[in-house]
Parts: sequence; C-alpha cells; structure tokens
Amino acid sequence: MSEAVMQLKNVSKTIGKKEIIKGLDFNIYSGEVFGFLGPNGAGKTTTIRMMVGLMKMSDGDIIIKGHSVNEDFKQAICHVGGIVENPEMYPFMSGWKNLVHYSRMMPDITKERIHEVVQLVGLENRIKEKAGKYSLGMRQRLGIAQALLHKPSVLILDEPTNGLDPSGIREIRAYIRKLASEEGVAVIVSSHILSEMEMMCDRIGIIKSGELISIQTVQDALQETEEKEVSIEAVPVDVTMTALKDITGKSVTREQDILTFAVEREKIPGVVSKLVHKGVHIYSINVNRSTLEDKFLDLIGEGSIE
Amino acid sequence: MNNFVQLVRNEWMKLLNQKATWIMAAILVLLVIASGVLFKIDDTATGVDAPTGDNWKQELQEQNEQLQKQEVGDIQYPGYRNVEENQYRIENDIKPTSYNAWDFVRQSRVFVALVSLFTIIVAAGITANEFRWGTIKLLLIRPISRSKILFAKYVSVLTYAWAMLVVLFVLSFIVGISLFGLDGMTEVYVYAQDGVYQQADIFSFTVSQYVLSSVELIMMATFAFMIAAVFRNTSLAIGLSIFLMMAGSSIVVFFMNKDWAKYILFANTDLNQFIEGTPMFSGITIGFSITILAVYYIVFMVVSWVFFTKRDVAGA
Ligand SMILES: Nc1ncnc2c1ncn2[C@@H]1O[C@H](COP(=O)(O)OP(=O)(O)OP(=O)(O)O)[C@@H](O)[C@H]1O
Ligand SMILES: [Mg+2]
Repeated sequence: MSEAVMQLKNVSKTIGKKEIIKGLDFNIYSGEVFGFLGPNGAGKTTTIRMMVGLMKMSDGDIIIKGHSVNEDFKQAICHVGGIVENPEMYPFMSGWKNLVHYSRMMPDITKERIHEVVQLVGLENRIKEKAGKYSLGMRQRLGIAQALLHKPSVLILDEPTNGLDPSGIREIRAYIRKLASEEGVAVIVSSHILSEMEMMCDRIGIIKSGELISIQTVQDALQETEEKEVSIEAVPVDVTMTALKDITGKSVTREQDILTFAVEREKIPGVVSKLVHKGVHIYSINVNRSTLEDKFLDLIGEGSIE
Repeated sequence: MNNFVQLVRNEWMKLLNQKATWIMAAILVLLVIASGVLFKIDDTATGVDAPTGDNWKQELQEQNEQLQKQEVGDIQYPGYRNVEENQYRIENDIKPTSYNAWDFVRQSRVFVALVSLFTIIVAAGITANEFRWGTIKLLLIRPISRSKILFAKYVSVLTYAWAMLVVLFVLSFIVGISLFGLDGMTEVYVYAQDGVYQQADIFSFTVSQYVLSSVELIMMATFAFMIAAVFRNTSLAIGLSIFLMMAGSSIVVFFMNKDWAKYILFANTDLNQFIEGTPMFSGITIGFSITILAVYYIVFMVVSWVFFTKRDVAGA
C-alpha cells in the first residue's frame, strides 16, 4: 500500500465526564478516498475537529506527513485542506475575496493558483458575486476551492454532499475520485449515508459511539462478477418463477408477488430480456442491499442515534 | 512577520467590506458637520466676540474691573469672564482670538466618545463574529498560530481606532476652517491646570488632548475585545462594554469615599484631568494612573489570549 499520510494513534476525547472519542487507531494513505461512516452523534465531526486542530485531543496523537498535530501543528496543518461541517464563508465578500483572504494565510499562493482552483470547481462565472448570494451547492464548491488552494496532501470534507441535489452529489463524487486518483490526494469524507459512501470511497471506517467498529474495503461498486440479490415484481408470477429458475439455475423465493433470486450483476439485462421474451410483464426490479450495507446496519443497529 | 501584515490586511478587507463600517464613518462625518453648522448658526455656543482690536488689553482690564464689581449684567465679552485668565493674558501679552477652527477642533473632542463606541463595536465583532459566522473553523486551520491571529485582530482594532481619530481631527479642522476661519497655524492657548494658568501652543495642546482621550477608548476597546474572546458573543461584548463606559464615572462617584475607589479603572481613564482641570482624587498622579491602567490592560490582554488560544472550537 502507498504512504500513510495520516496516522491516528489512540486518539481520544473526553468532554466533562463523557468520553466522546475512544482511542481511534487507523491510517489514511495517499491516493485513497476514506469514508468515515457513522450515525448521527457517532463522533465524526469531533474526530475531524481534532485532525485539523480545532479541538485538542485528550489523549493520543495524529501524525500528518510525519508531523504531530499536538507538537508541530503548523507543519502538520500545512498539508491539510478541509471543510468542517458547513462551508462557511464571509457572506458580505465576493467568492473571489473569500479566496484571497485564505490565500494570504498560506505561503506562496499566487493569483494564478486562485484562478486555477476557481476553474477546477467551476465557479468562474459567479466568483465576483457576494458569497451570501450563493446557493448551498456553490458554497460547497467555494469551500472545496479554499481547501485546495495550497495543494494539500490530505483533504478533509465533513459531510460534503449535505444539502446537495443529486447532480451536485454526482459532481462532487466524481471530483473527489479525480483528486484522489490523479493528484494522489488522500481524501477523508464523513457521512451517515452508506450508499453514498460506497460509491465514492475505497475504504470505509465505521464509527459508533466514538469507537471504530470496523474498516471495510469497498469492492468496486460496478464489479461485474459479484452476485447480487435481485427482487422482481412481474405477472404472471408462476410463469416468471419457472422462467427464473430455468435462466439462473438457482432457487427463487417468493413472497406474495415479489420474487427474489441471486444473479451476477452483468447477467441482469439478459435475465430481463428473456423474461420479456416469455411475455412476462415486469412492474419493478430492484437490486437489493449489498453485503456491506447488511454489515453496516448489523453493526450500528438500524436507526439508533446516540 | 510578513504574514502578520497579511493578517492585518485581511482584517481590514473584512472591515471595509461590511456596510456597518461605512455607516459608522458616515455617522461621524455627518455629526461633525452638523455640529459645525449648529455652532455657526447659534453663536452663543461659540462665545460670540473676543476683544481682538489694538486696545484689547485696555478692554479686558475694564471688563475685569466690571466683573470684580459684580456688575455681571451687560459685559461686552461674555467669553472672557474669568478675571484670572484675563489677567494672565494681559500680563503675558497673549491677545485673545475670535472663535476659529482650533476652537472647533477642541470642541469636537466630545466625538471621541462616539469613536469609542464604534471601536467597541469593531473590537467586539472582530473575534466573536468569526464564531457567529462559523468562519473561525476556516481561519484556525492554517499554518499560523492562534496567538498571531489574535494579535493581528487586536492591531487591526487599534489601527481602526486611530484611523477614526485622525478622520475626526482632520475633518473638524477642515469644517472649522470653512465655517469659522483660521487665524494661523500657531496660536497660544491659555488654560488652567489645578487652578494655575498656563500657556501652550494650540496645535500640540490639541493633539495631546486627543491622544489622552484615546486612552479610555483603547481601554474600553480592549475590554470589549476580551469579553468577545472569552464569551465568543458579539452582543454581550458590545453591551457590557458600552454599559461600563456609560456607567464608569457613576461607579467611581458611588464608591468615592472608599479607600480602594482610586483603583477603579474609570477613576484613571481620563488622563486629561492631569493636564486641564482638577484630578478626581486628590493625591493621585499621572504616574499612578498609568500604572493602574497598565495593570488592567495586561489583565485584559492575557485573559483574551488564554481564552482564544487554549479553548476548543467546538460549537461554532
Ligand atoms: N462541545 C461538546 N460538548 C459536549 N459534548 C459534545 C460536544 N461536541 C460534541 N459532543 C458530543 O459528542 C458526540 C459526537 O458528536 P459529533 O458532532 O462528533 O457527531 P457526528 O458523528 O459528527 O454526528 P452528525 O452525523 O450528526 O454530524 C455527540 O454525542 C455530541 O453530543
Ligand atoms: Mg457531524
């Protein structure tokens, strides 16, 4: 595996008597997108605040590119860009001035570099407008722009898709993937929505009540050979059932009018066209939860908020 | 050091891009102009005439005799009622001047209170607003120490206060010249200190009055800055500071006969009392006041620094 750009070592946080983060221990490598997944109140934001030095750790340390956040904050934070919770900007200044403001706080950022990031996030037409007039999506983009100004090795985004519409989410996702694969940036994203994380992350750390429960490697979501569980609603049910058994050669379960069977993803279109050929009317077809989702829900317990 | 200048530039950029900054400046400008116009129209405020003819000594002498006989009824120069001052002028050959730009600049010093108010607003907002806007999270995740960021904010507050004082001084001078004229850049000013008459060059005297007035301003701004850094709340910092500024002298008067009253901040903030007029407490010297002010100042700064640099940014 490539270089560990960030190492968490027994990171703990106690506020009052409550232990909010309990000894987190994991590494983040360059070029990967690491998902930080957990239900509301699990401690994602708290961990991120400690990564960027907004909160002090009660115990443990975080090492970024060899520099300790506790001992050598300036050197460590040089390599980090981020948005903590919402992308907050000075609403009375233009997007451009907001970027100039942050550029002055870091060494050697030229005007050209600011133009570059503005273009990267696609804000060039609106950059002279006051940030207060931006939509949430535009503020997210401006937030990412300020995080990228100094070409960080680690990009930390707390709930980057929060409040975005589906196309906005898709764009951010593509963008994050590009940064990781092309620029070798390690990206840490937090979320409580698994499906979203599965689509953009290489690895997912699941956190609950301040504890890291497990780290899962996400197989390529489009992996063709992985067997998926598929449910189909079609009439006539009997004909469909027999046909499915013939096509897949495996067992099919029936629950009222819904039939469930297992098949490799790449074979789904073939199955559908064969069914149609047999005169079956298909009303709906669903690919069910992946194994990871099952695991996640098992691990955290559905809907439980701490 | 270089990035310190950048930080101050940032603070100024944020100030200048906020409407409130311009509204405050406009209020100051309008009030100075309005008070000039008012003085021009209502000339009882400006002391009407001065004996500026060639035989001014004789006229003042006659007026003094009149005053000593208690014939206050219809004296010629209502602006020169003080027998001792008149005597001092005659003896030292200091010819009275009619109301001019310098007198207006000296009177405009009342607006230093307004500058204090604005500086308090700026000092309270400069840190607390970052928490309110949530931008503190983007500000503190840079390779710059929190101390430096705080100090740059403080220096920006001071430069704001000085800029406003310069605006006040220069504007008053310009308004004064256009409305009341100017007898010359040099003029001798006669004043009483602790009952003894003295003279000084009008320019340096006025400038030092402004500078001394800014002491209270800076103390109150530093106080507001501290409250904002501790509570991270703009309104609380503004409210508390303005309340104390208004109530300051009443607080001192209330505790007047206590031994420790002279250690109250507000018993020492008015350094002008050592130059013109009579000190509030007998026996306190300018050295004593400066020491007390320094102690308060250091406490305000240390508390601001400790709270700003050591505390977690959790809620914002
Ligand atoms: N300043 C604080 N004082 C006390 N408790 C806090 C503080 N900040 C956070 N907590 C607690 O720490 C826990 C973790 O909060 P955190 O904001 O890190 O969760 P999260 O995983 O980001 O949740 P969400 O998905 O809702 O954003 C919560 O139980 C919260 O109540
Ligand atoms: Mg959160």
